[in-house]
Amino acid sequence: MGDNMSVERRTVLKAVGASLTTLGLAAATGCGGGSGSGDGTVTIRYAWWGGEPRAIAIKKTIALFEKKYPKIKIKPEFTDYEAFWEKFQTQASGGNPPDVFQNSVTFLRKYDKRGVLMDLKTQADAGNLSLDNFRNGVLSAGQADGKQLGIPVGANTMALVIDLKAFEKAGVKPEFGWTWDEYFDALQTIQDKLKIAGDTGYFSIMYLYDLYLRQNGKAFYTDSDLGFTEDDLTQWWEDGYKRVRSGLVADPKKIEQVKPKSGLSAGLAASEFTWDNFSIRYEGEGESDYGLAPIPTTDGKDTGQYLGSLMLSAFTGTKHPKEVAQFIDFMTHDPEVGKIMGYDRGILATSEQYEAFTPTDDNNKGVKAYEEEVAAAGVLGKITPHPSGADVIEAAFLRIGGEVAQGKTKPADAAKALFSEAKAAFAG
Amino acid sequence: MTLVKEAPAPPAGKRSAAPAAGRRGRRRENLVGYLFMSPWLAGFLLLTAGPMIASLYYAFTSYNLFAPPQWVGLDNFTTMFQDPRWQKSVQVTLKYVVVATPLKLLLALGVALLLAQSRRGQGLYRAAFYMPSLIGASVSVGFVWRALFSDDAVVDRTQKIFGLDVGGWIGNPDYVIYALVALSIWQFGAPMVIFLAGLKQVPRELYEAAEVDGAGPLRRFWNITLPMISPVLFFNVLLESIHAFQVFGSAYVVSDTRCGPADATLVYTCYLYQKGFKEAQMGFASAMAWTLVIAVALVTAVLFWSQKKWVHYEEAAK
Repeated sequence: MGDNMSVERRTVLKAVGASLTTLGLAAATGCGGGSGSGDGTVTIRYAWWGGEPRAIAIKKTIALFEKKYPKIKIKPEFTDYEAFWEKFQTQASGGNPPDVFQNSVTFLRKYDKRGVLMDLKTQADAGNLSLDNFRNGVLSAGQADGKQLGIPVGANTMALVIDLKAFEKAGVKPEFGWTWDEYFDALQTIQDKLKIAGDTGYFSIMYLYDLYLRQNGKAFYTDSDLGFTEDDLTQWWEDGYKRVRSGLVADPKKIEQVKPKSGLSAGLAASEFTWDNFSIRYEGEGESDYGLAPIPTTDGKDTGQYLGSLMLSAFTGTKHPKEVAQFIDFMTHDPEVGKIMGYDRGILATSEQYEAFTPTDDNNKGVKAYEEEVAAAGVLGKITPHPSGADVIEAAFLRIGGEVAQGKTKPADAAKALFSEAKAAFAG
Repeated sequence: MTLVKEAPAPPAGKRSAAPAAGRRGRRRENLVGYLFMSPWLAGFLLLTAGPMIASLYYAFTSYNLFAPPQWVGLDNFTTMFQDPRWQKSVQVTLKYVVVATPLKLLLALGVALLLAQSRRGQGLYRAAFYMPSLIGASVSVGFVWRALFSDDAVVDRTQKIFGLDVGGWIGNPDYVIYALVALSIWQFGAPMVIFLAGLKQVPRELYEAAEVDGAGPLRRFWNITLPMISPVLFFNVLLESIHAFQVFGSAYVVSDTRCGPADATLVYTCYLYQKGFKEAQMGFASAMAWTLVIAVALVTAVLFWSQKKWVHYEEAAK
């Protein structure tokens, strides 16, 4: 019996020892995530969202940076958009967000309000980061309430992506300055001649409604609220639903089922509104040829457009603000980085990078030509920084618009629902 | 053929082997036992009990993860009951529970009855029918389901043969919930195995006696099988409905993470998830979670209360 017990004891001791070791290891690796080390090398965590090509390109630019700054190591983290912001929210609330991260206008005020974002002007004043040479005033996309909360890496603007073959076959030609009436007439012609829908569901896209409102002297957001009325939105959704029923806009049931493919590349419709730098996806997904066309206007001139931007932001509590600023500076100004990134995150934001990269493929050439055309037309306005809660409202707009499209919610009720959800989101 | 009822197996282990070690030994054994349990115990306290108690507190606060929680009393609950999306999620979940659970159990029982008779390849069939229960909750099966029930896919084409073209279930708010129901029913293997075990326990002599008295198969099922397996049936109903209330993965994956279209697959937990992790309304989400706990507890209580009327325990018969 005694023998038996001692065996047991030994086993127990071993088990305890083993678990202690694991705990120790866990603790050790826990510290490994920290940043300083004896020889003055610091580690910065850099996080972004995006697909595989972006990850490959960014890793190349990181290698370039580490070569130039051997004392700074970059630890990359990346995932898709939805997962990124969920993870970010958890990390940031725990006081442990990445030191540098990709950001967009939707989240500036939200995370500034929560005390997460660094005002990068302080670093610019300290000489660690240059705010010069940003093209077409795109730097303002990273500003809100007098602070520089993000540094743009690329500029993009909304566009109408069209199925070139379908438009040609139907004999309709989009022109700069064309009106909404002309646009919908064109869709009608396409529907009559080709028996396919014209659009994939324009009225659920918050950014397009923003352009429409701007054409009419309003905007989707004011500094702290929605910039339109319930009646405005009811009208917008009523018109949209009418066009679903008439077949001008594709059947939402079909659109839903081809996801994650777009309804345009699946051949369900001949055009779709989206950001111009997203247009690369259609070539890969679909069988037709795709091109960029101008946003329809209300008055025959003003498209309501502005330059949006993906940007780099920094965590206000980072232990290495100087290194973080140097990193952002390198990523936004270094010509080599521009060559590697291309237009993946939009037209390169600084003139150094813009001039370093010459697109060779049709898609990038098209995006470049499109943005030049828009800039030349003098229609680019100033971006309105989004109030805190805009991310939730954008998702709600898409969802409720989808309910309208499916005929499940009446436009008036839908508009009411959006306003009530927006109120909660602004308060959150 | 006489069937001897199996006596319960004697508790295995050292307790019976070493009565001489006495109290001290036993206490030491207990200690060792607790030590071995400690990883689980620590996990339970830190990862389950702790967060549960915390969420009970959060349910009465407004908490966005960044600012400290602020006590708001019953506000979360009153907002919740008036929230149209919350009402929608309750409606969707109830529909799912009420449709999926009985159908799944019916199928499980039916197949169990077939498999209860000995025939060749029995083990193989059992394994094959049980398989979906093992993999059904996986994300990959969710993707397969989405593909199966989409426009112009297998299900849609099969329907078209019978002139029932709905253009795919996944994009249609009126049908998509039934794709989830089908996924649940497909996993009938787990309750089936439990039914099988129950069926094996029914004494043969009862059937023999009934047969001698001239009872047909239907009558035998109704008067012998059903009452005899009613405890097992009760267990399955309880387990499956509790399970169904908590459905999440299938709705999330089949709907491409949005629990749509038009909120048609917005099951309770999916809305909870959206509120908590997308919108960071942790107070509201906690209130939702506790409301679900209470609702499930009520359903369980009603089921337990009802078992007096229909569950037949052998002890009572003796």
